[in-house]
Amino acid sequence: MAILEIKSVSKFFGGLAANSDVSFSVEEGTIMGLIGPNGAGKTTLFNCITGYYPPSKGEVIFDGRRMNGLQPDKVCMLGMVRTWQKVRPLAKLSVIDNVMVGALARTSSLKHARELAMEQLKVVRLEHRVDLLAGGLPIGERKKLEVARALATQPKLLLLDEVMGGLNPAESEEIIQLILDIKQRGLTQMVIEHDMKAIMRISDRIVVLTSGEKLTEGTPQEVVSNQDVIDAYLGESHA
Amino acid sequence: MTKTILKAAIGLLFLAALLVIPRYVESPYALHMMILLFLSVSQGQSWNILGGYAGQYSVGHAAYFGVGAYTTMMLMYSRQVVPWVGVWVGVAIVIVVALVIGSICFRLRGPYFVLASIAVAEIMRLSAINLTTLTNGAEGILATEIPAFKIGGRVITDFLTKVPFYYIGLFLALFTIAITYWVQHSKLGYYFQAIREDQDAAHSLGIHITAYKNIGLVISAVLTSLAGAFYGIYVGFVDPPTVLGLDVSVQIMLICIIGGMGTIWGPVLGSLLLVPLSEALRSNMITEGLVKIGFVSADSRIGLFLKENLAHAHVLLYGILVVLVILFMPDGLMGFIKKLAPRRNREAV
Repeated sequence: MAILEIKSVSKFFGGLAANSDVSFSVEEGTIMGLIGPNGAGKTTLFNCITGYYPPSKGEVIFDGRRMNGLQPDKVCMLGMVRTWQKVRPLAKLSVIDNVMVGALARTSSLKHARELAMEQLKVVRLEHRVDLLAGGLPIGERKKLEVARALATQPKLLLLDEVMGGLNPAESEEIIQLILDIKQRGLTQMVIEHDMKAIMRISDRIVVLTSGEKLTEGTPQEVVSNQDVIDAYLGESHA
Repeated sequence: MTKTILKAAIGLLFLAALLVIPRYVESPYALHMMILLFLSVSQGQSWNILGGYAGQYSVGHAAYFGVGAYTTMMLMYSRQVVPWVGVWVGVAIVIVVALVIGSICFRLRGPYFVLASIAVAEIMRLSAINLTTLTNGAEGILATEIPAFKIGGRVITDFLTKVPFYYIGLFLALFTIAITYWVQHSKLGYYFQAIREDQDAAHSLGIHITAYKNIGLVISAVLTSLAGAFYGIYVGFVDPPTVLGLDVSVQIMLICIIGGMGTIWGPVLGSLLLVPLSEALRSNMITEGLVKIGFVSADSRIGLFLKENLAHAHVLLYGILVVLVILFMPDGLMGFIKKLAPRRNREAV
């Protein structure tokens, strides 16, 4: 069953079409990879899905419900949460407090929120950083903190915007394992990523965007062998 | 564990001392200073909730202070409404004002919100000057006769000395501290701080930004209006510059910024520094002190110059202090103290 359906979504900024007529759907329990060159409109699409921008045209259907026009907080409460390409830790709060803010979406009791937050910190393996200020974490741990905070809101669909960007290979490997762990728990994920090797390993299906349009969609094997994709990434003179 | 008990014991001791001070201290001046201190704590604490925790720097809190002060005074002056009833009318009006202001100004972020908050307070000040039938205009309202407070015919207090004001002020200060404590230890406080640290991230985590900003503003505005009403009744006089002027807004902010924003004890520390300092500057105590310790002679040119001018320079010195604090203690006195004493008892990592 499709948990998320994107139906001909377009987003215009003045005359510029950041997304035009993008359609695809994400099956429950799977990982959907979203790739494309810089400026292809991947993050814009995330923003349209999670309520930061209203789509100019088209519909976003999540869990059977039309999401157009809903604010990000409502989107989160309905079970869809995103992380940020440029990490946004609540710098002056401790690591546990950051995750508690996420958990408080589902409970009003601080005690309960703390327990939920601890669970998520264990999932991302940050339990040794509980009392540190979030602003003092190195980038790899900040990325994990983003994921823990998002998980704490108990989503049905997790949208990860370049969680591996800026990480060294060892840190990327940890994140890959984390994403696969999360999949094991049955959570659906949509992942924007530039690291092709990584995205091939984790995705069940991949959507390729170029210049705001969907170029193709398929399994990782189908996508890598697609001539249009090779042209988009390496230039048409290649081959 | 023993540390918590020790802390509680010290706190109770302090509280007991504060409660019995008026029994042993008869000097009206000393009581006056304490009342100013309490007023300052409650003002700073009110601003702290919106500015310190939620990160919305309102430079227009004079609006709520003034509305609280004016409503209570106007009702007492022209309708003979007793102040302990009038205060709540003021609170009701302030809630409405805060929600109107919030729904307009919270569409703006950062510096634009600051400018809008200043504009709103200025609108209030100009209204108070020009709506003469209601507010007596620039003349202000003088009402020093407060009816005695009776319960069932028995006079509790007749407000003739400073003692009842001392206790009301103390209660107000403790009340605002308690509210801040409650905010910090609730979902509200977490959400306020999330909004302060990163509004977009907070939004993505299910926080209704405008709703929570408005809640913060209403709590802050209500507490500020209580302080305003208390000020009006205590001084017995309100006019536009003293309760609605821009410097009132700035003063309220400074207590918190200097003491330490987003901390429970910041506004208390800020008040402990600023109230005596401004009093010392205003009453020329510093010049007298310098003369006394023989640093300058009273008849020398410097001595005369200081005597003549230092009292007028209190705003300037105040400004210098603010610059120094911002340069060297960006997190206020509280942050500075925390840095000096690194936490040894950090919980097991």
